[in-house]
Amino acid sequence: MPDKPTVDMVSVTIDGVTFGVPKGTLVVEAAKRIQREIPVYCYHPKMGPAGLCRICLVEIEGMPKLQIGCNTVVTDGMVVHTQSEKAADGRRAVLELYLVNHPLDCPICDKGGECDLQDFSLAYGRGFSRSADAKIGKPKAEDLGPTIVLDEERCVVCQRCVRFDDLIVGERQLVLKDRGVHNIVATATGDAYRHNYTGNVTELCPVGALTSKTYRFKSRPWDLRRTRTTCTQCAVGCGAFLDTRLGGVRRTMLVEDDPISDGWLCDRGRYNIGFYDDLHRLTQPLYKRDGEFVQIGWDDALALWARAIADAIAADPASVGALGGGRLTNEEAYLLQHIFRSAGVRNLDWRAGRQRQATPGKRAGRLADIDRAEAILEIGESPAERAPILELRVRKAVRRGARLIRVAPVQSRPPVAGSCADVATAGEAVAQLPPGAKRVAVIWDGVDLALGRDLVARLPAGIDLAAYITGEQANARGAEAMGMHPSFGPGYAVPAGGAGRGFAAMLEDARAGKMRVLSILGANPALHFPDGAAVREALEKTPFVVVSELFMTQTARLATLVLPARGAFEKNGTTTNVAGDVLPVNAAEGLDVPDGALSDFEMLIGLAQALHVGLPAQDELETAVISHSARAPEGFAFGDARFEQPAARGGSAPEGDGNALRLVVESRIFAGGGTIAHDARLADLRPLPQVAISPEDAARLGVATGDYVDITAWATVRQERVIDVLVEVRTGLPQGVAALVGGLPDDPANALGERALVSVTNVRRNVAEAAR
Amino acid sequence: MSEEFRALLEELRPRCVEIIAQYEDSRSALLPLTHLFQEHQGFVSRDAMRAVAELLALSPAVVESAVSFYTLFFRRPVGKYVLQVCRGLACTINGAEEIMAHLRERLGIGHLETTADGLFSYEEVECLAACDRASCMQVNLEFVYDLTPRGIDDMLAAMRGGTYATAPMAQTQMPARTWTVEQDAQVSCGAKSAGAQGQSHPNNASGLGDRSGVIMLDHIVANERLFRGRTLERLANAEPTLAKIVDEEAEAAH
Amino acid sequence: MPVVKVLTEGIGEANLRDIAIYEERGGYVQLRRAFEEMSQREVLDLCDASGLRGRGGAGFPTGRKWSFLPGNDKPRYLVCNCDEAEPGTFKDHMLIEETPHLVLEGMLLGAYGIGSHHAFIYIRGEFKRGYEIFSETVRQARAAGYVGKNLFGTGYDLEVTVHRGAGAYICGEETALLNSLEGKRGEPRLKPPFPAVAGLYGMPTVVNNVETLAYLVPILKRGSQWFASVGTERSKGYKIVSISGHVRKPGNYEVPLGTPVRELLEIAGGLRPGRTLAAIQPGGGSSACIFEEQLDLPYDYESLAKAGSMLGSGAVVVMDDTTDFVKAAYNLVRFYAHESCGQCTPCREGGHWLATVLERFVQGRGLQSDIEMLHKVSAEITGLNLCPLGDSIEPFLASVLKRFPEQFEARVLKETVPA
Repeated sequence: MPDKPTVDMVSVTIDGVTFGVPKGTLVVEAAKRIQREIPVYCYHPKMGPAGLCRICLVEIEGMPKLQIGCNTVVTDGMVVHTQSEKAADGRRAVLELYLVNHPLDCPICDKGGECDLQDFSLAYGRGFSRSADAKIGKPKAEDLGPTIVLDEERCVVCQRCVRFDDLIVGERQLVLKDRGVHNIVATATGDAYRHNYTGNVTELCPVGALTSKTYRFKSRPWDLRRTRTTCTQCAVGCGAFLDTRLGGVRRTMLVEDDPISDGWLCDRGRYNIGFYDDLHRLTQPLYKRDGEFVQIGWDDALALWARAIADAIAADPASVGALGGGRLTNEEAYLLQHIFRSAGVRNLDWRAGRQRQATPGKRAGRLADIDRAEAILEIGESPAERAPILELRVRKAVRRGARLIRVAPVQSRPPVAGSCADVATAGEAVAQLPPGAKRVAVIWDGVDLALGRDLVARLPAGIDLAAYITGEQANARGAEAMGMHPSFGPGYAVPAGGAGRGFAAMLEDARAGKMRVLSILGANPALHFPDGAAVREALEKTPFVVVSELFMTQTARLATLVLPARGAFEKNGTTTNVAGDVLPVNAAEGLDVPDGALSDFEMLIGLAQALHVGLPAQDELETAVISHSARAPEGFAFGDARFEQPAARGGSAPEGDGNALRLVVESRIFAGGGTIAHDARLADLRPLPQVAISPEDAARLGVATGDYVDITAWATVRQERVIDVLVEVRTGLPQGVAALVGGLPDDPANALGERALVSVTNVRRNVAEAAR
Repeated sequence: MSEEFRALLEELRPRCVEIIAQYEDSRSALLPLTHLFQEHQGFVSRDAMRAVAELLALSPAVVESAVSFYTLFFRRPVGKYVLQVCRGLACTINGAEEIMAHLRERLGIGHLETTADGLFSYEEVECLAACDRASCMQVNLEFVYDLTPRGIDDMLAAMRGGTYATAPMAQTQMPARTWTVEQDAQVSCGAKSAGAQGQSHPNNASGLGDRSGVIMLDHIVANERLFRGRTLERLANAEPTLAKIVDEEAEAAH
Repeated sequence: MPVVKVLTEGIGEANLRDIAIYEERGGYVQLRRAFEEMSQREVLDLCDASGLRGRGGAGFPTGRKWSFLPGNDKPRYLVCNCDEAEPGTFKDHMLIEETPHLVLEGMLLGAYGIGSHHAFIYIRGEFKRGYEIFSETVRQARAAGYVGKNLFGTGYDLEVTVHRGAGAYICGEETALLNSLEGKRGEPRLKPPFPAVAGLYGMPTVVNNVETLAYLVPILKRGSQWFASVGTERSKGYKIVSISGHVRKPGNYEVPLGTPVRELLEIAGGLRPGRTLAAIQPGGGSSACIFEEQLDLPYDYESLAKAGSMLGSGAVVVMDDTTDFVKAAYNLVRFYAHESCGQCTPCREGGHWLATVLERFVQGRGLQSDIEMLHKVSAEITGLNLCPLGDSIEPFLASVLKRFPEQFEARVLKETVPA
């Protein structure tokens, strides 16, 4: 074992307690060790001292003036008084000043009850103010952007939000404007505050200045019931608190000491909670009779489902298939494959979209490995829009000095200063590694297997590789580990009954009229699979399609039987994140669940009973989840050929002329047909149908940012066309590529097919934009 | 960016490149570049701030933040002659108040205001470091010393007649009554969600969250006088004279 | 009369902006001598031995400031602070407009002394004329081979950049100045680290006032002993004092430190006929007043500090018995409130609060309770701020509140609300 690095310790006395702390510790941090509170506004452990709020005043023996605890490093033998008369006087004076121009509108302030200004004024303040003059007015209830409302009068100008935007996110959209007592927090005139992490500033704000639109006037903190759970909006699996009141989730809050999220939440995780009580939630099983859905009872629904499966198996087990798991819990995924395999069905898959592989194999990385990486290689789509909190770690690493190398990138570079290189091929990427780099992180979107394989094969020997596959679905890795895969059973073992066919192959069979029953649990392939038209055709040709869903999605509409499911906040289980951490999913306390909705787990138990299939014992389930999920299996490689799927239709489009662009589908965290589409409060956040093209192509085609165009599939059999697409000219995008936002409810991207050749036609100048 | 500004930017680009080259870190050129654009436009337009951001690879917000810190940058158009009278201590005890009153009276405008014809902007500024020649002022940043009411009348006449020694500033847009932005922060900050920009989904229900809250706020604003009344009652016991002042102010404002 | 002409030599007699005239009068001889005959260390030692203290306001010994530079091989910068905005100070304004080559020569000497290859001068935004003059000065010096590559054939490169501010008093504070020079808001930085360790662009940096750097030229010429022999024990050499207010001959006067205040008053022509002295603010807007009975105080750093005031930037504002001290107090407090960067709370909120209350006094609407509040709040906010600006509000206010309480009492509203 290597020697533990020795830490130099110094001795400090705070309020009479003498103890040792590592050299370099700040007084505020030292005080925390003995549970002494030194109040702070501007200081934040992740952003360091700013020295602005001046309330962390402490008296240090030997120093004539009061010192700020946030920027004073403990020296050996230092004697600190946090509660001495002098320190208390100083704090009292500063706290009185905070209220001189504060509106004191606590009765209508969302922060009331959990506000540092209230708490500190009560604990350390004077109790009355000597100020008798009019307060200066500042803008109130400012619409800062799609997520945040800003009340300038309540602001204490601690600049935590400004520094977060600069130091943590790197966007620098929030700044301080004007000067002195008139200064305000603002964006550039006319610009909305808009990126994927904005909600964090509402929690960093020590007062009620920055509030979430979704939570304004919704509740008092003391009326909320809190549940600790895991966010299942993406595969990072951030820890989150769910706060409910009156039967609904009112807000999601970050977990400060959560090692997974590093103490942050992205806006999707924070704000996409309104769908739970959406009026369009499915609340009863629906059965399609003569082309119309009619409501039926659960008993009938389960019986119909079981009978259809039993009949089909009797005819040919290969005509039965199941898709799902990526959005379910580990337990549900395990149960799903258990029941179908027990009944003799081998066609199982979780892959409802473009992603082909979810488990990186034996070189799977832990999240903390990114923090230590000397180089980060991104292949395929950047994690920025797929796993936003992972992206924050990447930005942190780049800022720290790690080199970011992106292979065939689509998205813009992260807005942080650092060493970055964009290259076209795996070979070039490896050549860009810093000389002698030992610790390398590879982040891959799991789509292009050959590229992933190629890259890992080219890495020099002796490298400490940490690999991640940021998937499209939150529990993709868990589903794969549980055996929802045609070639792998639980724990990546060869399945007892032999390999089956993957979802792409099932679709081919279905189009050929060979599939009898398809069960789709928690997936929406009609929207997310690269060729939506092919999925629609396949499902239409399959006699019995069962879909479990929260909403009447594009896929559910094509089903024979629709089963109303529960969301992740309405059930218990576990999920496995991108780094193989098995994390708890807990039902939110006090949340009203639609009466008719069952969890997929409950449905599957019903199905098992109807099919007379034995259920796994509780401990078998638990063992499977824990032992398989976290595993970094030896058996296969990054980009292993066994994950290959037949290419979707449209992938073999003919070569176009010079004007044709190659379609690339781009993720956006707020694109999606289910939970986002049914969260009315997030309308502003949903991306518009948007295509990004390189400046060179834009010049050639005569289009500019803000124009509208049509995108036409170029010379294919089906003349698909997507109209009214907003153009974004993106610097750094490779020439000859059209990056279209995928996963939008009207599925513009997958209407055209994966990697189709498209041409940009019918350019219409956006007059309003040009005038600006 | 307007077409005019695009042309100006192209004209000034070589000069910008020269300025940037003077510094180890290009960001240092923020102030000089802003000065340059102000010289040509008469104020720092939004286009100018965006151009500076682009030239220095900064976010537009960062540029605006820095620009807003400095009093010599006008973020709104100003008059062709910016008259900045020193209100420092040495000038004040040497007759600056009479000079300021005289100027205000002659121009018909107050502190931080521009005449309707767009010719003059008037500002009272901090010590200009010419205390030995008090009272003093600057006209488009050129010093004028030992001010007298008579001298001011001559100066204004010369400016109106186009014979004044200091050249007028560039004026590319007609100024409004005031050029300060802090007062109309509401205008500059408001209405920023996509919904407000007419780009969102027709079902947009986000706005300011629950309407009930907004209605509640409106209600409170409408009843401000009521609240004030109650505060006054309490105040009257503690500090009677102040209560009177507050009351008078409220009356006057009404 | 102890008025001397060291820096001010030739001002008003010759056009010192012309490099030929400046050279004719012995200009750039010291620079050449330093480069050709002296090591950097010798320049540094000479500065240290002269006892020269910062002439911008803080009065920190210049040699010691330079000695804080770490001995690493990072690039280091010299920044000349010409952001003169302290109320009552107008010496740097004169120096860069009247004798800019002297200032430049001082800067070049300083840069050579600390081993800097890039020197900056930050000129107050309002000094547009000064900026133009100094830019021309650098152009002339560059053409003459005093700025640029391989100076005097020694292989030493020294670049000078003239940078103009845009209206912010706080940029006179050295870390705020550095932020402004970096294109940021002129907000003072949290210290440590100090500029000597991490200043401009994070590199070791020395920021010196115009007058401080200009004195390097005569010190080099006549030796440190010449400078150190003048003045008092700890306030050595000469100082340009800007005298203004109620005197008959306001102006910049160069005197040995330690000259009694009474003599300064006489130099400036004394009070107007028939007037008596009410107060003198001896060291800029941040200094407490001294009064009639303190006129024999020697004008040096320690004596004024001992008397509860300070020498500051050397701005002497004389106020006679016609002065309205309520207005004067409001004037200065409002100045600090207006110039507060707004970063840290005591200065931002406290300054504004005090200014609001004093404004009410000026209008004759003060409250009895306000007087105690003015005393207390101004004292409370002192010492709690990130930079010295917030601590500058109290001294003048407190000194006049104490000396002229009747002027404040007279502005208290007398009538009460009928029950």
